[in-house]
Amino acid sequence: MIKHLIAGVKHALKLHYPGRALIILPDDIFLVSFPKSGNTWTRFLLANLRFPDQPATWANIDLLVPDPRSTAKRDLDRMPRPRLIKSHECFDPRYPRVIYIVRDPRDVVVSQYHYHRKLMRIVDDSPIESFVNRFLAGETCPHGSWGQNVVSWLATSERDPHFLLLRYEDMVADTAKELSKIVEFLDLSAAPEQIATAVERSSAASMRKMEEAQTNQLTKGSRKDISFIRSAASGGWRSELPPAMAAKIEGAWGPLMRRLGYELTSPSLPPEQDCQYLGILSSPRQ
Amino acid sequence: MRRLKVGVKHLFGWHFPGHNLRVFPDDVFLVSYPKSGNTWTRFLVANLAYPEKSPDFSNINNLIPDPEGMSKRNLERSSRPRILKSHHCFDPRFQKVIYVVRDPRDVVVSEYHYDIKRRALAEDYPLPQFVSRFVRGELNHPYGTWGENAASWFYTRRGDPRFLLVKYEALEAQPTVEMGRVADFLGIPGDRERLAFAIEQSSARRMRELEKKQAHLWSSTRETRKDKPFVRAAKSGGWKADLCEASIAEIESAWGGIMRDLSYELVGLGLVVDGGTSNSAGQKSLL
Repeated sequence: MIKHLIAGVKHALKLHYPGRALIILPDDIFLVSFPKSGNTWTRFLLANLRFPDQPATWANIDLLVPDPRSTAKRDLDRMPRPRLIKSHECFDPRYPRVIYIVRDPRDVVVSQYHYHRKLMRIVDDSPIESFVNRFLAGETCPHGSWGQNVVSWLATSERDPHFLLLRYEDMVADTAKELSKIVEFLDLSAAPEQIATAVERSSAASMRKMEEAQTNQLTKGSRKDISFIRSAASGGWRSELPPAMAAKIEGAWGPLMRRLGYELTSPSLPPEQDCQYLGILSSPRQ
Repeated sequence: MRRLKVGVKHLFGWHFPGHNLRVFPDDVFLVSYPKSGNTWTRFLVANLAYPEKSPDFSNINNLIPDPEGMSKRNLERSSRPRILKSHHCFDPRFQKVIYVVRDPRDVVVSEYHYDIKRRALAEDYPLPQFVSRFVRGELNHPYGTWGENAASWFYTRRGDPRFLLVKYEALEAQPTVEMGRVADFLGIPGDRERLAFAIEQSSARRMRELEKKQAHLWSSTRETRKDKPFVRAAKSGGWKADLCEASIAEIESAWGGIMRDLSYELVGLGLVVDGGTSNSAGQKSLL
């Protein structure tokens, strides 16, 4: 009863987190990815680009590029338009404009494994093998499996002019170039210096330094000896993931991974086998 | 004042949870794009699962509720396992899913007539124009286009033992076979008599009779035109007579790939159907 009373009062005062019941506005821009795919980094990049007078920090990022699952409705209603909103959801036809970041699932699983240690959801010596199995089954987060999340977006939106697909790996390789794609996609104007500033302010070094100095919503209550900003690199799975586990991931999503340009280590997959998800819809949403 | 009402509604769980539905691990979802046989399947499944409740338009919303139209409180009090209705695109929280898919060329004709019935469309609105809006997803509902809805489920869940794909056309052509699959999936004994009973109780003829008596009792027909029936042709392939060539071409060029993957035969009409399936060469590069 008390719980219900609190929920009722929160709704009356718009202090609740709307989550999936978020009221979407026609000019909203969603920054979507499967968890641990560079979403927070891109949030910082976008926030630093859009609000140069207010450098993004761990303390203000939830107001600059909020997550409807952890930001009050009141704050979401008060944001300057167009709103930039963070999301890990699978395909949602209501999202008007989407920047989707994809990352090699072999790196994603390693990143998520360490993140879950940090959150104390798993113990330190928990075998990565069992984590990979849960990861493949989509049991490590409430946003579907990596494959489902990616396919749900690609199969529906790949050809939509309001959908921009970026790879984490390309962002690491040339951040300014990928950020320029976002600028163009959003019809923003930004001088190269502005882009460079945003990149600099959102660098792994800068974000690490801030993480040490600031308390924040994202990592509150988690282990301090494991940092949120970890390697911030791609390809780490080659040394961290047992080959059999990499092969297992490739067995589940090989064709999709290959389609996204992720080189496979297991030669056994027939070429282009069963990769039907892509290029099946051609109608642009208006 | 409005806010107070919202607060009180949440306090007592009287609000419709919709997207924020609390999903239980044993929930079964009956999902389809609108106008794809969802109501028919709801009747079929209700008659199969709850024959003792005599499903009709007065109680179908309670037997197989829609989280967009039932209060949180009642949803959470429904007996388990719940069978829920949904039109949503892929949702990873929905574990056990029956997805009913129908030829989009028939879906658009059905939606057109339904929109006239519910006065969302003028009676003389040109069908080809409506088809264009349908293809572009301008229908004022949050369920995406037909292609988005079907693709979001099909490509994420096919092959999964907890996902059952049922084609409207197959359900019409061989209801006993298809309902046998549904019964298996639900773990309900699928003996011939029980299936035949469910199919008979949900026949177009019987549903038309029920609609005549009960249209005022059901949310989807209550305030709609009485001169147009909700249960219309209940047949597949009507599009061949109703759609012009340009409309057919428009639908097939938008969704040719997924239609083929679902084994819907394309007319083709000599147009290049963009969006090939698996192995077609020359696909637009992704990156």
